Amino acid sequence: MQRSNIFDYKNYLYFKIAALIILVAFAAYLVFEPAVGHYGGSFLGYGLGIISACMVLWMAWYGVRKRRYRSAGSTQGWLSAHIYLGTALTVLVTLHSGFHFGLNVHTLAYALLLIVVISGFFGNYTYMIYPRMMSENMGEDSLDSLLLRIAEADKLARQIALVMPDAINNTVARACRETSIGLGLIEQLKGYQPNCPSAQAVDDLTELGKDLSPEQRKLYRELYTIMVRRLSLVKRARQDLMYRSRLGIWLYLHVPFAIALLVAMTAHIIAVFVYW
Amino acid sequence: MINCLLIKISYNSRGLPVRSYRTIHSHELMLGRGAECNVHLPDPRLSMHHAVIKLNDEGQPVIQAMNGELEVDGALIPGMVLTHGTHIMVGPYELRVEPAPPDVNLAISLALAHRLPDDFQDLKSRTHQPLKNASSFKRRLSIALAALIAVVFLGLPLLQILVPQVQTSMAELPFGFDRVWSPGRISPSHMHFGSQCVNCHQQPLQKVSDKACLSCHQDTAAHITDPALQKKAFNAAHRFVGTTRCAECHEEHKAPHPIAKQDNGMCVKCHGNIKVINPNSTLSNVHDFDSDHPEFKLTFKTGNNPQAITRIPQNEKARLVENSGLKFPHSQHVGKVQGPNGIWDVRELSCTTCHAAVGKEMRFTPLSFKNNCSSCHADQLTVGANELKLSVPHGNEESVFNMLKLNAPKQFSAYSDTLKTNGCAYCHNIVESKAGDAVPWRTAPLNVNDDWFSKAQFNHGAHRTQQCISCHKVEDSESSADVAIPDRKSCLQCHSGNKPKHKRIASNCMSCHNFHQAHRGDALNTGEKISDKDVDVLLSINKQPK
Repeated sequence: MQRSNIFDYKNYLYFKIAALIILVAFAAYLVFEPAVGHYGGSFLGYGLGIISACMVLWMAWYGVRKRRYRSAGSTQGWLSAHIYLGTALTVLVTLHSGFHFGLNVHTLAYALLLIVVISGFFGNYTYMIYPRMMSENMGEDSLDSLLLRIAEADKLARQIALVMPDAINNTVARACRETSIGLGLIEQLKGYQPNCPSAQAVDDLTELGKDLSPEQRKLYRELYTIMVRRLSLVKRARQDLMYRSRLGIWLYLHVPFAIALLVAMTAHIIAVFVYW
Repeated sequence: MINCLLIKISYNSRGLPVRSYRTIHSHELMLGRGAECNVHLPDPRLSMHHAVIKLNDEGQPVIQAMNGELEVDGALIPGMVLTHGTHIMVGPYELRVEPAPPDVNLAISLALAHRLPDDFQDLKSRTHQPLKNASSFKRRLSIALAALIAVVFLGLPLLQILVPQVQTSMAELPFGFDRVWSPGRISPSHMHFGSQCVNCHQQPLQKVSDKACLSCHQDTAAHITDPALQKKAFNAAHRFVGTTRCAECHEEHKAPHPIAKQDNGMCVKCHGNIKVINPNSTLSNVHDFDSDHPEFKLTFKTGNNPQAITRIPQNEKARLVENSGLKFPHSQHVGKVQGPNGIWDVRELSCTTCHAAVGKEMRFTPLSFKNNCSSCHADQLTVGANELKLSVPHGNEESVFNMLKLNAPKQFSAYSDTLKTNGCAYCHNIVESKAGDAVPWRTAPLNVNDDWFSKAQFNHGAHRTQQCISCHKVEDSESSADVAIPDRKSCLQCHSGNKPKHKRIASNCMSCHNFHQAHRGDALNTGEKISDKDVDVLLSINKQPK
C-alpha cells in the first residue's frame, strides 16, 4: 500500500478544512454585502482580514517550525495544512479586498501574497513531478557515477584521438577539457547549454570524418560512438542538475517575498488604524 | 645529419625522475603525436607534427614549430637555435639542451612538465552546484525587500504624520508619503485637497471628525429643523446607531461610488421604530416604501408667509381642497378649445401650453395672466352697453375702480356689481372689503401652491417619459379646488420599495427624501436661514437659528 503523502494526509483532512473555509467565506460574502459594495473595512471585511492575518502568521510559522528538530505534530501534516490552508487564505484575502485594487500598501500586500502563493504552487508542482522524472533520468546512477563514466569516456576518446589528425584531436581534447555541467543559473534551469563543447565535438566529428585513411576509419567510428555516448551522459548530468535547481528555485521567491509580505501586512494594518 | 642524444625523463611511482637514453641518427628530428615521428610524444595536447629540429645552413641545430606551438618564457616563438642551456616548452613537454657527449652533436632532454589532469576530478570541478549561494541570495533579497517596504510604506508615512515640520514642509506638494496608505479613490469633489491625508485625518488613531468636514461644509443643515428636537433625537439615536459622524453616511475612498450612502440601513435604524427616538413623535414607522410608508401629506399654503402651511394626508380626501383664490376648470383648458375669434378659432391646448418646464429637474415657471392667459383671454373687460361701454384693463382693484369713477361716475355701482358678479369674478374669487377700505370689494389674494411635497423631492425630469395625465388626472376637473397630485398608490404602480419587483423600480428613502432636510438653506418650518457652524452638526444644533 502506498504511504499517504502531503495531499491525502489523514484522508484529505486539510483539504476538507480548506474547502469548508472557502465555502463559508463565499457564503458570507454573498449574504453580507454592504450597501457601498464589499470593502476591507466592512464588518465582513474586518472579519476576513483578521482571520487572514492570523493565517499568514501561522503559515510563516511553518518556515520556523520546519527548521526545528522537535515540535508538535508531524512535518507531513504541517506541510499538508500549509498547502491547503494557504490556498484557502488566498481566497479569503481576495474576498477581504472586495476586489478593490490600487497603487497602495494594501494592494502591495495582496500582490506579495499572490507571489508567495504562486511560487508555493510552483514548488508544489515541482515536488509532484520532478522526483519521479529525476529517477527516470538517472536510473541507477548518481551524479558522481555519471561523472565517472564521462571521465572514462574522456580517457578512451583521447587515447583514440592521439592517432587522429590534429583537427579531430583538438576537437576531442577541447570537448574533454571544457565541457562543464550547470554553468550558470539560467543554464541550470534550462538544462541546456548553448555552444556545449561536447555537442560541438559530435557535430564537428561528423564533418571531419570524411577523408580518413581506411585504417583510421575504423578507429574513427569507435571514437565517434564514444563521443556520442559521452554527450548523452553529459546531457543526463545536466538534466539532473536542472531538476535539482528547479526543485529549489521557487524558494528564491517564496521565502523572501513571504518576509516582505509580513512587513507589508504590518504596514497595511498600521495604516488602517492610524488613518482609522 | 643530426646525431642526437634524446633523454626522456619520466617520474616513477615515488615521484623520482627516471632517465631513459636513446640516440637518434637522422636528417631531422620530428617531434609530435604521430606514430611516424622519430620523437614520438603521445599526448593529446601535441599536434601530429608539432615541431622539427634540423641543422641550419651554419650547421647549428634549430627547432622550428610546425603545426604546434613553441613557447619560451611564456612567449610563442616560431623557432630558435638550440644552444646549451636553452629550454623550450613543446606543448606540455619541457625541452632542455643538455651538454652534449663527444660522439653526438646535440643532446636534449624531454620531460612532461604538465601532466594531464585527472579526468574525474577535473570534470567534477567543472560541475557546478545546483543553485549555488541560494541561501545567501534569499537572505539578501529578504532583507532588501523588507527594508524597502518598511521604509517606503511604513517609515516615511509615519515620519510625515508624527513630525510636524515634515508635515508642514510637504503641505504644498501634490502628494505626501502617506499617499501609499490610501485605500481607494477619493471622490472627485474632494480630490483637490485629498492628496494630503492630514486634511481629513487630523488626529492619528482617531476616526475622521465632523470638524474636518465642517471646515468646508459650514452651511450644511441639520436633519431636523427644530434644534432642541434635533439634539434630543440624535442623542437617542446614538444608543443604537453607534455614531452620528458625517463619515457614517458619507464614506470616502469609495469612488466612483457616490460619497453619500444610498441605502435605507441608517434611515430605518431610527424611522423603523421612531418612538424609541422620540416618544412624542407623530411620525409613523417606516421600513420600506412599498410595505409601510404612510400616505403622503400634501402641504397647503394657508397664508402668504412661508410658515403658513398645513399638511394634510391624502387619504383625508374631504380636506384636500386648494384655496388658490382662482376659478380655473382644467377640464375647459385641455384639448380642442374655442379661441377668442369665434367658432372658426379652435385651438389645441396641452399641459405644456401653460406649464413650461425649465432646467434639468423640469421645475415649472409660475403662471401669470400676461404670459399664459392673455394669449386667449382678452386683457380688457368691457362693461356697459352701447355708448356707455367701458373697457377696464387687467390690473389691481384700485386702478380699475379709479377708472370707473373717472369715466362713468353715474354707472359706478352698476359697473362695479357687473365686475363683481361676472367680470373679475369670472376667474377670481371676490372678497368683501372690510370697513374703511377705499374700494367696495376686492379679488381674493392668490395663494397657488407651488410645493406639494415639501418634505420630499420630486424630479419631473426623471419622469419625463411619462404623460402628465398619467399622474395628474385633471381632464375632468371642474374646479380649481381639486387637487391633482398623485398619491402613494399611484407611485407604487411603477415604484416598489427597497427591492425591485415585477416591472417596478426599486426606490429607497433617498430616492425622494434628503437627510439634510433643511439643506436648501432655509428651515422648513420657520423659513429662516440656518447658519450653524458648530462642530457636530447632527448633535449640537441646539441654538436658535440666527
